Formats: sequence, structure tokens, C-alpha cells
Amino acid sequence: MEQAGIRKIQMRRLQGRAHAWLSKPANVILMIFLVALTLLTLYPLLSMLTETFTIHTGREARAAGQKAGELSLYHFRRLFLTSENDYSSIQFYQPFFNTLIVSVSSSVIAILFGGVVAFLVTRTNLKYKKFISGVFTFPYIMPAWTLALFWETFFKNVNIGLKTSNGIMASVFGIFMPEWFVYGAFPIALVLGLHYAPFAYILIGGILRNMDANLEEAATILKTSRPRIIWRITLPIVKPAMLSTFLLVFASSMSAYSVPVFLGSPVRYYVLSTKMKSLMDSYPGQAYIIVGVMILFGVAILLLNQKVTNSRKQFTTVTGKSGQISKINLGRANRPIAILLVIILLMVAVVPLVTFALESVIIKAGDYTLGNMTLDFWIGTELDKRLDQGDSTGILLNPKVWNALGYSLGLAVTCALAAGTCGILVGYGVAKRRGSRLASWVNSLSFFPYLMPSLAFGAIYLAMSSRVTWLRGFLLLALVGSVKYLPFASRSGVNAMLQLSGEIEEAALITGVPWWKRMLRVIFPIQKSSFLSGYLLPLVSCMRELSLFVLLVPTSNTILTTMLMQYSEKGWAQFGNAINLLIIIVVLLVNFIVNKLTGASIDKGVGG
Amino acid sequence: MPEIRLNNVSKRFGKFVAVDNLNLDIESNAFITLLGPSGCGKTTTLRMIAGLETPTEGSISIDGKVVFDADRGINLPPNKRDVGFLFQNYALWPHMTVYQNIAFGLENLKWDKKRIRERANELLKMLRIEQFESRYPSELSGGQQQRVAIARTLAPGPKVLFMDEPLSNLDAKLRMEMRTELKRLHKDTDSTFVYVTHDQLEAMTLSTRVCIMENGVLQQYAPPLTMYNEPANLFVADFMGNPTMNFLDGEAKVNGNTAEVSFGTLHGVFHASAPIDLKTSRCVLGIRPEFIHISETEGIRASVYSTLPSGMETTVKLDVGGTLLTAVVFGGVDYPVDSTVCFAFSGRAILFDREQGGKNVAEGTMELM
Repeated sequence: MEQAGIRKIQMRRLQGRAHAWLSKPANVILMIFLVALTLLTLYPLLSMLTETFTIHTGREARAAGQKAGELSLYHFRRLFLTSENDYSSIQFYQPFFNTLIVSVSSSVIAILFGGVVAFLVTRTNLKYKKFISGVFTFPYIMPAWTLALFWETFFKNVNIGLKTSNGIMASVFGIFMPEWFVYGAFPIALVLGLHYAPFAYILIGGILRNMDANLEEAATILKTSRPRIIWRITLPIVKPAMLSTFLLVFASSMSAYSVPVFLGSPVRYYVLSTKMKSLMDSYPGQAYIIVGVMILFGVAILLLNQKVTNSRKQFTTVTGKSGQISKINLGRANRPIAILLVIILLMVAVVPLVTFALESVIIKAGDYTLGNMTLDFWIGTELDKRLDQGDSTGILLNPKVWNALGYSLGLAVTCALAAGTCGILVGYGVAKRRGSRLASWVNSLSFFPYLMPSLAFGAIYLAMSSRVTWLRGFLLLALVGSVKYLPFASRSGVNAMLQLSGEIEEAALITGVPWWKRMLRVIFPIQKSSFLSGYLLPLVSCMRELSLFVLLVPTSNTILTTMLMQYSEKGWAQFGNAINLLIIIVVLLVNFIVNKLTGASIDKGVGG
Repeated sequence: MPEIRLNNVSKRFGKFVAVDNLNLDIESNAFITLLGPSGCGKTTTLRMIAGLETPTEGSISIDGKVVFDADRGINLPPNKRDVGFLFQNYALWPHMTVYQNIAFGLENLKWDKKRIRERANELLKMLRIEQFESRYPSELSGGQQQRVAIARTLAPGPKVLFMDEPLSNLDAKLRMEMRTELKRLHKDTDSTFVYVTHDQLEAMTLSTRVCIMENGVLQQYAPPLTMYNEPANLFVADFMGNPTMNFLDGEAKVNGNTAEVSFGTLHGVFHASAPIDLKTSRCVLGIRPEFIHISETEGIRASVYSTLPSGMETTVKLDVGGTLLTAVVFGGVDYPVDSTVCFAFSGRAILFDREQGGKNVAEGTMELM
């Protein structure tokens, strides 16, 4: 009798506790995301892992001498341990080594370039600061292949690579660059380094800007010389940010696909990502192993980064009240340095656009005289009668292009809305339940897609979609895009929510404001610009995304970026350049409009 | 006229016990202060009563209605408890004007527009912030923001008002002013106030009763002057009063209501009003600084270690054979450092027993030999 009573009380207590737990929206949100993200990231990962042990039909089954569908260690043996014809070396070890070289060098370049500019802008009286800091994020907003394509079109000549035609350097200036300069490790690392330099600029610049000037002033009082202050005080303080940048750029460069395709493949210089793509068609098992290796790299980098950023907190919390930072006077060196920087930035951010415009209007490659120019590739009709290759109309009159643009925009907006909203919800849940195990799981899971190289992520979903029949077309692309860009959105969501004291919401809670209203009327308006940056980054990234979708699009005409790929593979250079310019203009325009309308900006969302 | 009752309330975060088996009766119309050092569980207690935090054990009732009961699975959300909460950092919504901040909660309670306007005007006037009605919080000074936060909290007319260190972000002068106004507000609104602070002076000056906590355990629950004069233990005695009470470790020989006590070079007889319950001979004598009387000639000689005259009163530290004693003298007297003065104990002294966790075992007078 008494026992039954006790059990009844225990039941009620349990019910009460469960009810209290569920009455907090943060808990419900975290539970939903735990389940959803497990399904969307861990499940695909596991299904990919099984692919590495499975024999696939076609060439793979014949080569292995096994039946399709059988489980086997064949792929591992073949990829890692085949000395015959240097197979393993060519297919895995060499690309692996190349990846390391390219990623490390691009990280160093990004840190040096971005860090120096960040220092000059925040700590000296440099001229033209506004222009420099405004244009500096351009290369990140533009697609990564922009610079690569520019490099190739600018420096290529008939002696190297595919030996097709001369670029501007050769035809206009008569200078024939050597092959190592135009193709291979050097240009890949340089282009990636320049593309990701904004990471360094934003991360290191942020620390430099928020750094308490007293720290440096204290050293000045103690009669320390300027260089010594920079070396002993400033650098150690930004060191964690530099490490963080290094890891981020390393991870991003490792998974980059389009740059090594443009600047490596013509001379058979392969990295892991391009190798994986070329293996995917005939030997998917081995391709999936490469994906696994890349993910392992990513996880290792995340762990390292977490270690670094945790210790970083000790520095960033030291924000002093003295906003008056004594700026270094560059003196007579000021103008030359500023002009040099402006020129570099123009080369990186503006000249490529001019080049694409130029390349899209010349009829015969390599001839840059006015007589060789036409707008036909933009607005011409019945081109097939005059040209031996390409579409029959200019791209602006081509319904296929408009369809693809519409599809790309629709996809980008869908992904941005989904990822951005989920990012805010994840941010809310994680910040509210900070320190709980559930929150840290969801936080890590939502960051996980960042570690998966885009191409690999696409490959995983490709493998999964072969089992889930309804996952096709737009739905598949939108899902992949949303999950892949969730890390950007959840990062800015978590940061924005952590800045907001819990009291702000509780003040509304206590007067009985329902949850959705608290989100819409109180939380969202306060952190509007951070949250909107969480929408903007997926939007811009998705608009210019190639590697994530390249394996998944129904036809290559579906979205603009794959269309561009197709055109440049066919060698329709003018059409390709025109479409490329179109993509860049749309991306810059979208970024500009959103920035002006809402105040959201890329630099609020980028980074670790 | 609500009274608040906490029965065996505990809150654990994993293994950490934030509040341990707390029993508290808050009578209606009281102004209660939850006092203690940071991390003692006072804010957690307040948040549990308000419903912002869920207790692990126990039950809470407000105005006879059970709002939480772990055994019965009852847990009313904060908005059903009819309470107001004033936050430490004000938690004003930065994107709403002063008026919108006050009106938002009322709109939510489905008040009609006219009534909201009237109530808002009433509060704006009461807190003297009419002229700031259409400003945003960032355009106000700390003190003005504080007033807006109070107005917003009072707007729906809550019967109970919770305040979490509301004055800690104000400068010393403003804090004095707001204390006066809060006390006035308590009278005018006719509601029950529960106030969290780590400032003993605030607790002393504001409340009708003080609840002092340490490590999640209630130490004493009494009116402030009682707590000051008859602290339950060493912790309370040390926490209440500024400058703090003098504590002297010594040996005592108990004989009924009296004890012969010696500490260092000092000896004397302690006269208590009741039998002294000391477990061993080791004891701690506590004497408030205002009960150390300094004179030129009478009493025991000591040298002046430091003098801190503040105008109205002077805090003097005395060195007696290596032991430092703090005394307070009314008026501004600047004793030269290292000069020699005499002192005697006057007024109330307390004996604490370390063996019994610093418990107050006797109150009386201490006569020095």
C-alpha cells in the first residue's frame, strides 16, 4: 500500500520534471536538432563509410574480380598498397602530398597578406583605409575560381598546359610565362591564399581592433621600442587568431575543388579533391576512401582549432575602456605602401572582372584589337551560322541561362532561409542551455558539415540519394545546401545569442509573452544584423557554389555554376567568361543590396 | 497580500548543490533581503520563486497557491505566478522606446490601448521619467534606465516584486538615492518585495527581514538589527557590519554565566545573561568596532596602526601586542600613526564556539583586566 503511494509520488515527480524540461523551448529545439542533424550528417557519413567496403557495379567489380555488392577491403588495398605502375603513389600519395603543400602555403600566404593589411589598417595612419578595408573582402565574396580563371586567362600561352591559345600577357606584352608560374602548386597556393586572406583580415583585425591599448601603452611607459612592442606584446596577443586562421584556411584550401581544377588539372597536377572527383566515376569505393581521409583531416583541424580558440578567450575578454589607440605614424612610407596595396587589391578584385568582360567580347582568342570585338556572345542571335561552336544565341538571350539563373537564385534563397533560420534556432538553444551536454552535442553536430569538403559532402548525399528515392532534384540540392551552410548560420546565431543576456528574454517571459513572440519581437530585432549575416553568408556562398552541387545536379544546365563548368570544359571560352561575369555581378549585387538594406555583412559571419 | 512559503527547497546542478533544503516564510508586505557572498545561492533562490529556475526538490507557494511542488508534479510558469522581476542589468529592450518598454507587457496581457496609456503615464510620473518617454534605453543614464526598468516591472501591478541586485550598476550617490526610493515604493505599492544583494548595508537599510545564506544553506533569518546585534554565528557576524566585527581567538574558563577569557596579551571576564554553552576551552570573542572605546588615559595601552577619518566618524586600527583591533570613533579625529592611546571594551560582546561551527554561544559584556 505504502509502496504504491511512494511509486505514485515518484511517477508524479518524474512527470513534473519532464513537463518542466519540455516547457522550455530551448530543450525542445535542441532535441529536434539533435535528431535531425544526426540523420543529416552522421547517417550520410556512416552510409559513405559502408561504401568504402562495398564493391560497386561496372569497372570496379571487374577490376576487383568480385561480385557487385560484396563487402571487401579491396578498395583500401588498391588505393594504399598497390606498387604496380606506381598506382598508389599516383592515385593517393602524390595528391595527398600536393594537398599538404598547397594548403600549408596558402595558409601562410593568407596570414601574411591578411595579417599585415589588418595591422596596417588598425594600427597605423595608413592612407585610403576606407577603400582598402572595403575592397579587401571582395575576393572572398567572389567565387574562388574567379582568380584562378583570371590567372589562367591572363598568363596562359601556347607553350604550356593545354597549349590552346595565348592570354593577355603573351599576346599583348609578348611575355611567355614558364609553366610552374601558370599551373601547379605555386598559382594554386597563391590564388587560394589571396581568396582566404579576408579570413585573416577579419579574425586578426578583430583582435587588433578590440585589443586594449593600455597593453601597448604600458610597454611604451616602460621605454620599450615600437618594433619590440609589436614583437613581444602585439604578436603574442594575435597569435591565437593567427593559428585559428591557419587552421581555417588549411581546412578550406584542402577541400577546394575549382581552383585546382583550373590551375592543376591541365598539367596533371592533382590534389585530393580533384583526384576524388576523377576516381568517382569509375572507382567510387576508392573515391569514398579519399573523402574519408579528408574528413579525418577536417576533424583533426576542428579539435586543434577548439583547443586554440579556448585558450584564446583569455585574450579577447581583456577589452579595456581606452579606445584611443596610438597609431603608428608611417611617415614618408605611408603613400607608397598605400598605393602598393591599392594596386594589389585592384589586381585581385577589379582586374579579373575587366578581363572576363574583355574575354567575353573577343572573337578570336589572343587578339585584343577593337576590330576583333563583338557583343554577340552576350546579345547576338543566330550565332551558329557564323561560329563553328557554342550556343546559337548570346547568353542574355538564351532561355537556358535565365532558367539556370532563376534556379540558382531560388536555390540560394531557399538554402539561406532554411540554414539561417535553423542557425538562429540552434544559436538560441545552445546559448540558453550553455554548458549542458545536449547543447554541446548539437553545437558540434551543427558545425560538422563545415569539416566535410563540399565535393565529399555532395558525394555522400549522392550515395544516400540512391537509397532514398524521393530525394531528388531541387529538394536534394536545397537539403544539401542548407545542411552544408548551417555552420555559418549557427556560428553567427550562437555568437549573437551569447552576446544577449538571458535577462532580456526573461523580462518578457515574466509578463507572459509567448515564445514565438519573444523571438520575433524581442530577440530577433535586437540582434538583427548578426542574424541577417547568418542568412547572407549561405545566400552568397550558395549562389557561387560549384563543388557541392556538381555531382548532384540533374543536368549541367540546371544551375549557373555547373553551366559555366560545362562551357569551359567544352572550350566555349567567351560564353564561359560571360556567364562567369554574370555570376560575379549577381553575387556582388545580392551582397550589396542585402548589406545596404539590412546592415548585415559578410565579415560579421565569416570565421571561426 | 501574498505570503510566500518555501518548504525544503533544494536545487542541484549536477553534483553541485546551489540551494540546500531551504525553508523560508515570507509574510505579506514584507521587504525581504536575500543576502550572502556571490555563489551562495541567493539569486538561484529568487529565480526559483519567480519560476525562472526549476527546483530539484521541495515546494513553493505564493499567496496560499502552490506554484511548485516536486512531489505532486506542479510547476506554474512565471507568468502565471503574478510576480514582477527587476533584473540586475535592467534588461531593457534596446530596440523599444521607454514607453514601448513599459507598454509591451501590458499589450500582452490584452489591456486596451487607453488603459495602457493611462497606466504608463501614471508610472512615468511616479518614477519621474515623463520627459524620456520616447527615448531609447541607450539614450538614458544608468539611473534613468533603472527607473524605466522599475516602471516596466511595476506596470502590470504585480503583488510580489523580485529584485536581483538592482542597484549594483549604479554609482555610490545614485545608489543611496535609489535606496530611499525603493523603500518609498515598497510603502506606496503595498506589495511584497524580495531583494537579492551581496551588500550588507543595502540589506540593513532596506529590509524588514534579512535571510543570510552561505553555500546554499540558510544561516539566519531575522530582522536586520537583530541580526546585527545577535548574529547566529561567526559567518553572519562577520558579514554584517562595516567595518567588520573584531574577532579574537582565545581560551575561556567557563563558570556558569561568566567566563575568564584570555587572548594573547589580553585577559578579562565575560559576563553573559545565560549559562555559557562552550564545548571546549577554545573560543572566539566578537566585539563591534563601535564598542571599543578610545581615550587618552583610561584602559589598556595600544599603539595606533592607522587612522582613517571620514569626517562623520573615524576608523582607528590599534596594535595591542601584535593583535590588530578596529575601533570607530564618532567625529573626525586624526590620531598620529604610531602614537600611544588607551582603550576599553564597552557595550555588547559575543562569544562564538569554533567547535560548533562558529555558533553564537553567549551574548554579554567583556570586561578587560
